[in-house]
Amino acid sequence: MNQPSAGRILSLTLAVCIIAGNNRHQVVVTGAIRVTIEEEISINCGEAELIYKPDSSLGAALRSCCAGWLGAVSALLALFLLGPGVATIACAQSSTAQPTTAKPATASTTHARAVAPAKAVAALGVPVKAYGSSNAPITMEVFSDYECPSCRNLFETTLRQMIPDYVASGKVYLVHRDYPLPMHKYGYQAARWLNAAARIGEFQAVEAALYDNQNAWAMDGNIEKYVSGAMSAAEFKRVQSQMQGCGYPGDAAVRPAAFALGAQTAQSCALDTYIDQDRALGNKIPVQATPTYVITYKGNRLPAGSGIVSWPILKQFFDSLLSQ
Amino acid sequence: MNTLGSVLLWVTDHGYQILLVGLVAVFCVREPRSRRKIVRVLLVLGALVVGCIFLAAAYGKMKPPVGFAWSWPSSVRISLAWFAMQVESYRLLPPAASSAVAHFLPFFELFLGLWLISSIGLRFSSLVASFTLCGFMIAIALAYHRGLKIDCGCGIGPPEEVGPAALLRDGLKFLLPALLVAIGAFWIHRPPDAAPLPESAPATPEAV
Repeated sequence: MNQPSAGRILSLTLAVCIIAGNNRHQVVVTGAIRVTIEEEISINCGEAELIYKPDSSLGAALRSCCAGWLGAVSALLALFLLGPGVATIACAQSSTAQPTTAKPATASTTHARAVAPAKAVAALGVPVKAYGSSNAPITMEVFSDYECPSCRNLFETTLRQMIPDYVASGKVYLVHRDYPLPMHKYGYQAARWLNAAARIGEFQAVEAALYDNQNAWAMDGNIEKYVSGAMSAAEFKRVQSQMQGCGYPGDAAVRPAAFALGAQTAQSCALDTYIDQDRALGNKIPVQATPTYVITYKGNRLPAGSGIVSWPILKQFFDSLLSQ
Repeated sequence: MNTLGSVLLWVTDHGYQILLVGLVAVFCVREPRSRRKIVRVLLVLGALVVGCIFLAAAYGKMKPPVGFAWSWPSSVRISLAWFAMQVESYRLLPPAASSAVAHFLPFFELFLGLWLISSIGLRFSSLVASFTLCGFMIAIALAYHRGLKIDCGCGIGPPEEVGPAALLRDGLKFLLPALLVAIGAFWIHRPPDAAPLPESAPATPEAV
């Protein structure tokens, strides 16, 4: 298989989106995209992540991404159409509202750069802001604002203990939902950075960095510094490219007046869609304060709770559910 | 079980109105014997109302969440574990104490409700009920003062955020009937023939 050389422009006439559902596969042919692959490319694919490295077997990468014969046939079709050494399969979820499983951050394996940022953003798919397996019996959705001290406390004291225990063992699926509050100056911008990072599979590292350094960036608004510190330079470039056009008018530190009124931000940003989707979900509950958590057990949704809950108490509740 | 919950909720919602009407009647009647009779009837009603408040609170805390069926002890365990999270959200107690309170309080409310309805030792049961309700109101006031936006976890009716509305509801609908029953229970226990002091008698030693 030919390996794409650095800086080589690859023209893709078709991007094949394989949407893997339960026992069914769909092939969707989208319009043309044009990207440059310098080192390797990483694309989120539902519950898996396709990492195409120039020195790796494309077939193995495809198999890991999209199981099933239809996926393989589609991949072969793409290869015949596009020629050897030219293949990018953009796998996206059928629904943006449905969260998927996040892979642990692999800082050394994901390096890619897009020439046209807007098009690269379009190819990345929905941000994955979750921990664990979506098949877990318990789903916990946490609506939080990255500038909210209580949200940080919940993360630092409770969720950090829960993730290696109940999430890692497949008992709980933890989903983050953005609910930036107008009272927080940089909360919305932090959510944008997080969504950009989540789209390249760096959600967990960036979330930890944002909460760990909340006091610092909440003072000066320099979120970028901590996001860049949580990943490699190449990954940060990918995140930064998504953030182009996402600054607030004039001064990036000033939140748009429209946000204070609960409307869309004054300057359009592709990432705002994901934040607004989460906020719309929160308004349905309704979220009165952050953090607010919604626990669902085998499809039965419990009333929303808010405030800080300690890990021993939460664990006791999960145990009572699991002993049903 | 749902019917029982609805009945308890109705009594909880409207019981204080019955007692207030009865209180007006007590003040309108001048004849002591008739007044005592009305107070006795009102005490029975009041004990029933306050007892139902506590039974409704216990029921609300123990009933299974939506989508779960009643089962002993698993559904009750889930409800109490959920209530422990609500107790902890007040940030008044450490986790272990929150869990202990959450697992004790609903059973205490159940016991207190039945004790009140039985009218045995009504003076004491109504006093305990009044103090318990005062404790709840203090906890709600503290949470509101701290700026917490949490569900009061009262267990009665739909979830209500801590704040003036929850305090007003607890004060008017729950604490007022409990206090009226306590006052009435002590008043009715006065010796009926306690003679008033003669007007000529000295009121205080200093006057002698």
